[in-house]
Amino acid sequence: MPSQPDLVTFTVDGKEAQVPAGTLLIEAVKAAGVHIPHFCYHPRMKPVGMCRMCLVQVEGPRGMMLGTSCTMPVTEGMVVHTDTDTVAKAQEGVLEFLLLNHPLDCPVCDRGGECPLQDQTMAAGPGESRFVEEKRHYPKPIPISDLVLLDRERCILCARCTRFSDEISGDPLIEFKDRGNATQVNTFPDEPFASYFSGNTVQICPVGALTATPYRFRARPWDLEAVESTCPHCSVGCRISVQASRNEALRFLGVDNGPVNQGWLCDKGRFGFEFLNSGDRLDTPLVRDEDGDLVEASWAEALDRAAAGLSAAAAEGPGRLAGLGGARSTNEEAYAFGRFVRETLGSNHLDAQLGDGLDPRVLAGITPRAAIDDLERARTVLVWAPDLKEELPVLYLRVRRAATELGANLVVVHPRATGLDPVATHTLRYRPGAGTEMLRRLADGSGDLAAVRAALDEGPVVAIIGRPGLGDDPRLAEAVMAFAAGLPDAAVLPVTRRSNVYGAADMGLAPTLLPGRVANDAPGRDAAGILEGLASGDLGGLVLLGSDPATDYVEPQQAAAALDAAGFTVAIDLFLTPSAAKADVVLPALGFAETEGTVTNLEGRVQKVNRLLPGPGSARPAHEILEDLARRMGGSIGAASAEALAAEIAGTAPAYAGITWEALSWGAGREGIVAPGPEGSQPLAVAPEDHAPPPAARDLVLHQARVLYDRGTLTQAGPSLAKLAKEPAAYVHPEDATRFGIKAGAAVRLTGSGGSAELPVVLDPSLVAGTVYVPLHLGAALGAGLEISMEAVT
Amino acid sequence: MGLFSPIAGFGVTLKQMFRKRVTAQYPKEKRVKPQRFHGRHVLNRYPDGMEKCIGCELCAGICPARCIYVRGKENPKDAPVSPGERYGFVYEINMLRCIFCAMCVEACPTEAITMTHLFEMSVTTRDDAIYTRSELLMSPEGDVPHPQPPSKLIDLDELKVADGWMRATAPAGRAAYEGVRGWTPTAGAGHRPPERGQSGDDGADGEEDA
Amino acid sequence: MARADGHQNFIVTTLDKAMAWARTRSMWPATFGLACCAIEMMSTGAAHYDLARFGMEVFRASPRQADLMIVAGRLSQKMAPVLRQVYDQMPEPKWVISMGACASTGGMFNNYALVQGVDQIVPVDVYVPGCPPGPQSLMHGILTLHDMVMSGEAAR
Repeated sequence: MPSQPDLVTFTVDGKEAQVPAGTLLIEAVKAAGVHIPHFCYHPRMKPVGMCRMCLVQVEGPRGMMLGTSCTMPVTEGMVVHTDTDTVAKAQEGVLEFLLLNHPLDCPVCDRGGECPLQDQTMAAGPGESRFVEEKRHYPKPIPISDLVLLDRERCILCARCTRFSDEISGDPLIEFKDRGNATQVNTFPDEPFASYFSGNTVQICPVGALTATPYRFRARPWDLEAVESTCPHCSVGCRISVQASRNEALRFLGVDNGPVNQGWLCDKGRFGFEFLNSGDRLDTPLVRDEDGDLVEASWAEALDRAAAGLSAAAAEGPGRLAGLGGARSTNEEAYAFGRFVRETLGSNHLDAQLGDGLDPRVLAGITPRAAIDDLERARTVLVWAPDLKEELPVLYLRVRRAATELGANLVVVHPRATGLDPVATHTLRYRPGAGTEMLRRLADGSGDLAAVRAALDEGPVVAIIGRPGLGDDPRLAEAVMAFAAGLPDAAVLPVTRRSNVYGAADMGLAPTLLPGRVANDAPGRDAAGILEGLASGDLGGLVLLGSDPATDYVEPQQAAAALDAAGFTVAIDLFLTPSAAKADVVLPALGFAETEGTVTNLEGRVQKVNRLLPGPGSARPAHEILEDLARRMGGSIGAASAEALAAEIAGTAPAYAGITWEALSWGAGREGIVAPGPEGSQPLAVAPEDHAPPPAARDLVLHQARVLYDRGTLTQAGPSLAKLAKEPAAYVHPEDATRFGIKAGAAVRLTGSGGSAELPVVLDPSLVAGTVYVPLHLGAALGAGLEISMEAVT
Repeated sequence: MGLFSPIAGFGVTLKQMFRKRVTAQYPKEKRVKPQRFHGRHVLNRYPDGMEKCIGCELCAGICPARCIYVRGKENPKDAPVSPGERYGFVYEINMLRCIFCAMCVEACPTEAITMTHLFEMSVTTRDDAIYTRSELLMSPEGDVPHPQPPSKLIDLDELKVADGWMRATAPAGRAAYEGVRGWTPTAGAGHRPPERGQSGDDGADGEEDA
Repeated sequence: MARADGHQNFIVTTLDKAMAWARTRSMWPATFGLACCAIEMMSTGAAHYDLARFGMEVFRASPRQADLMIVAGRLSQKMAPVLRQVYDQMPEPKWVISMGACASTGGMFNNYALVQGVDQIVPVDVYVPGCPPGPQSLMHGILTLHDMVMSGEAAR
């Protein structure tokens, strides 16, 4: 714990107050209960004093002085006045000045109704302007990226967007240009504002200068309904406000949850609401008819068919059925799914991951486990994980803040350049498959790695560890965790991407776990085993809950073949995914913002998700579907409601003891509660071991990793994000390109363990020679194996 | 009780018989409506045929009965519907919920929605009472559509008579409207005749810069 | 007499018309003033507008003597069963005019206390918009109903 900072006493408007020394006056005054109007000041960014709106009077040796409260730290005995006539006149003058060139097109402006400039003009501004001349004109609005529009007429030059891009997100693609009256904010010529965080500038813009294309003219603030929830797109669990009008989700806004996202969102999270409104959503049950086509059916008919099929498969013997999924569901649905598979289907073959994650016991029970907020006090951060900027963008922001603002050492280990490299103290590269050797050298800390090792020995250390690419052995990540746990004052943050995979593991959706981080003594098959069993006929049926192995499994073709061979399959999903299309019965479920529940993020923080939308057609909550199925099969999973399930989890799952909806909805619990809860038992302690190294390096190895905008189901279901997915490409080291006699842009044929693809070549010198990088889920499926062969296509 | 008291009562009756009759023979004759009568709404156009509505939803926001549904949309670049970036793509008023308070008229920043003098809107199903853009928006020539055909009860010319809350307040919020031009309730840049108490100035020289 | 092809013969048609005419000329309203609209309804009956011109001046206090129910005002949930009972007590043929925004849709009172449209309680023939509808608006509604009765559209 940092030591208690010194307090200073100051007087504001005659009231005395105490704040820590060094606090900015604007914050200190806010703590004393006085609001000062401001535009450029943002609590999560450095002050600049651009807008001059926060003027206050401070008593000094030469009398009362006007000054900007956002740039003035409080000193002992300071006497501040915020309500004098002089302050009011000064603020009125500033506002009149800010409005000189403001077009006042509030009725058509997307910000109208929730605009700080509007509000503060009403509160502190002049009634009329003395400016009668022609206002400044620029072309309205210019698209500065696929998602953001810029209207320079409305801009009041507060520098919030430029500071955000520079300080926080680290892609300074928007900047001031020109001087004097012609000063304007703009992007560089021919360089779009292609930041993964561009949406944040829209949210913090105090006027309507930056607006979002997906929300453009869709609604006004007063016809939006909002509910606080947790972003469904990755495992960081950013707090968001879901806003909808007429049962149509229209936007997500970031909510400032200090320990997690600090108000920021990535663009995928912010604009990834569109899948909720997609016309492709399943709205009625489907069953396979005699001709083998999926046809619409009533719920009773579909549930009867599903129950009959599953019962028939279950009658063939014990353990003939399996369940996959739950990594996108709420904890309550995942828990219901676990009970359904274990109790009704009588099987332990249950998995929420699809061969691309970590051992569920590690996810659930690694100790000492780091919280995201530990980055605030870390001296050293080790990132041996997927490219955070591509997979967990808001965690990237937090790590970047630690490395820049807070001055921590940052060590990044990855097969190629990552988004964090520009701010990293040390960057290490290795060939996929040679990670164990890299770890050994790092642990050894001799030679050129001595400086890195020295940095790692400076505690407290936060180690963010996952599988950098598909080719990396999950046991390597465990070995790295074992190494990291031995560093001084270290804590480990295990990283996988899918949104609620941690909650699913905690709810026992894993072959080796029972709900509440309890080890399962009779482990069943994992995803690979289940698919193998389906293909070989050892398993007779499968239930999918929001899981799409035919797309997401590491060997998609293998999974598709297994699903084809499966005896009887029931899919509960939002969309007719390639896997659901192979099922015998497809049941439409309600998704994010349509059901209530809790989710768990990568640090084990349990947060609430809330309901706002009714959902399409006759879709139902997954736990109700499972309960109906269980009843038809002669059992029950006791899932009367999501709230009842939550109470059951809080009562029976040890790590979730005391984490109730009540606790999460009010007071401090709204920030989320990190499991194990207040009365929870100790989590499963897993001591990862150093595993044997995989076979030695080959001629060429394949590195596959996810990118933010891929062709995933949820991304493709929304028009704004769908078009951002890039074309697939093969990233080849220049040396290899010379060796194979290929040039940038030429086509190569890559053949991997699970398929081959013809891809254009991009030269990437950040790779270690002998490595080919192919982004995942962009249309090229090569399989999970490390081995790859490349030939030039003429 | 005087001697003539019983007859005096008949006297009242007798007197009434010779008084002017006050009954308006409604279907045949109509009463003159006050100038500020609130009848059904109309969506106006500018004299050049552009729609005045910009889809800003202020009318929907202010409506106490929440009977207005508006959705804006980006103006097509090559064939803009209204001046500026945005136009009213969906515009619906549920006349059965409407309380004819004219707060929408007051809120409208472009004077796109105004009220007329026509009130004959009785319907036999609730759906018929939802007026959409096609029933509210005047044609470029200034004719206003009405779902019911003209008859002895429905005088469509009343749709061209604008009400006037604006008669009480000037565009800049000035209390006195005297000598101020600036309001064009219907298509065409017309001026309103002055009201009682106003000077009769047509406003041409008292023009105020909006 | 109705024929198989659905047409009616001359005598019946003429008789129907005569009956419809008779009905429209003495349509006695039941008193059902619920709120401010009732003030306008009363003034419709008074000298300036004089519903007696349509043979409607007798607002009956007993539903058993009324043909037409003018629901004038907002209908609260507690009043709804009463409204229904009054309607049920009226002899056939009977008609309902929903007068004003509140009776027709709930108007600006979109809340739990009010029935959002009396057509949830009784079958409504004519809805009269307005808040409240003026006497002329109400008379337009009445004339609309007359047209419906005359055309046989609203024979009940």
